[in-house]
Amino acid sequence: MNVIETTGLTKYYGEVRGVEDLSLSVGKGEVFGFLGPNGAGKTTTIRTLMGFQSPTEGTATVLGADITDAAALRDARGRIGYLPSEPGFDENVTGRRLLEYHGSLRGDVRSEELLELFDPPLDRKVGQYSRGNKQMLAIVMAFMHDPDLVVMDEPTSGLDPLKQDQFLEFIRAEQERGKTFFFSSHILSEVRKVCDRIGIIRNGHLVELENVESLLDRTGKVVRANVGGAVTAEEFAIEGAHDVTVSGESAEGAAPVTTESDGGGEDSTTVSFTYTGPYQPLLRHLLNYDLLELAIEEAPLEDIFMRFYGDHDAEAVVERVENGRTDGHDGHEETDSRNAEAADV
Amino acid sequence: MFETARFESRQRLTGSTVVALGLSAFAAMMVLIAPGLLDEFDVEALTETFPPALVEAMQLDVIGTIEGFIALELYWFGWLLLLAIYVAYSAASAIAGDVDDGTMDTLLAAPVSRWQVLGEKFLSLLTPILVVNVVVLVVVYAGTQFVDEPIAAADLVAVHALSIPYLLLWGAFGMLASVLAPRRVVAEGVAAGAVVATFLVETVADGTDLDWLGVVSPTRYYDPVTILTASEYDYTGAATLLVAAAVLLLASAVLFARRDVR
Repeated sequence: MNVIETTGLTKYYGEVRGVEDLSLSVGKGEVFGFLGPNGAGKTTTIRTLMGFQSPTEGTATVLGADITDAAALRDARGRIGYLPSEPGFDENVTGRRLLEYHGSLRGDVRSEELLELFDPPLDRKVGQYSRGNKQMLAIVMAFMHDPDLVVMDEPTSGLDPLKQDQFLEFIRAEQERGKTFFFSSHILSEVRKVCDRIGIIRNGHLVELENVESLLDRTGKVVRANVGGAVTAEEFAIEGAHDVTVSGESAEGAAPVTTESDGGGEDSTTVSFTYTGPYQPLLRHLLNYDLLELAIEEAPLEDIFMRFYGDHDAEAVVERVENGRTDGHDGHEETDSRNAEAADV
Repeated sequence: MFETARFESRQRLTGSTVVALGLSAFAAMMVLIAPGLLDEFDVEALTETFPPALVEAMQLDVIGTIEGFIALELYWFGWLLLLAIYVAYSAASAIAGDVDDGTMDTLLAAPVSRWQVLGEKFLSLLTPILVVNVVVLVVVYAGTQFVDEPIAAADLVAVHALSIPYLLLWGAFGMLASVLAPRRVVAEGVAAGAVVATFLVETVADGTDLDWLGVVSPTRYYDPVTILTASEYDYTGAATLLVAAAVLLLASAVLFARRDVR
């Protein structure tokens, strides 16, 4: 029996679509990545699965309990851990008191062990906690009763990078102990580290379900190279390269622009493109040039969506690719805050 | 079972203590100044200067005794209005406040039912109700003995004990507001506003053509002035309040079980 099974799950907030016709299943012991930009319907799905809200249409079972059967779902929650991105706590009590309270509600078999890995200042009031400390407290609460299934909504937000890695490693270890995870995220790189299988949700619809490796193969890398001398986009029309841009100009644009580099006054050109293919031919090709700088990064989730499902308008592609390059992760954050409100519904 | 009630009760202890101390200080002051005032008071003259309707509405005719004075100055305002507002307001934020700040998610992620959450949060309202009643009862009893104007102990106990159904009713009403309102401030405003509105309706409508309006006002079923001045205890009124509280609470639980927590 699948741990999570949804059939045509639909949730509308009045006229506003939260998620539509979502059908997926998560098997026992699986780490399922539920991927999508903010506002796509991830939180809606999770809140519906947890029973915080009832579906408009469709059905779902969690650990065998029908989500519309309040009593069955209540019992099932005794075996579910829930980890939201911004956990809400009573702020005028200490972390210790809160752990005691929630431990008494769901059972506490391993908080001591967990507190060695995730160590919020327990004797301080939760109101004084940093975001990271709150998140660590939430992690301890989500796992303290040793649940069979853990439902996580962007669980690493608020954790510093070191704790993020520690947490992802912890998930891998828990998976080996037979736990099932439903892991929502908008960051592909963290999902690929732990997830066996991922589903992508966009505008409330599930649009892609496949294993991580094949997704990564199809997504490709973002390559940016700074080379000496003048280069044309045509020279980089090698197999697996897409959307080649030269010095900020699109491939279809006018003659490539060369710029004076600060160093020896030598001319250099920046070439960037998305690359889906093995490394060797790419590197061999690059070595034909006077390679000054090279960056190979994972494509942002927004670009993946664009490549698979959407706009092939050249200008938009160029703009998106450029932003993805120059702003790097910051571009992500902007998208986040823009969509944050929509994600809360 | 009762983990939430215990946790919430402890959370309410500080606020309850502050309210108990405040009302105690007020009660002590009233008890201390009462003998001096009562000596100088000419009730006949006072009631003649005001229109009869107002005298009746404010029950000024009984103010000449220590029982009447304390009933009017302390219990009429302090219990019918102030403490009722406090309880209704606290109840109103119980659900709506937790939903607003996300605390409800953390709670509902545990294997608890919504009925249980609502019921236990309601039970925790007994903390302010009991703490304030017990503390002020002791203060008023000791105070009136001290100034040598004793009030019958049975009447004092009754005025506090019979206030419990009245306050529970406002707690249940606050819960209903808390479940229905889209946000915490709305729930709190509706709950506190309703206390004031019904208090005014009963005060103004009493003895007029609009007397029937007072039937829906909870203040009609708990009258501290009659308890203290005439030693008449309205058990039927108390029972009515308890039944009404149970109905409101049941309605809140049904609605809370059905609503989306967002």
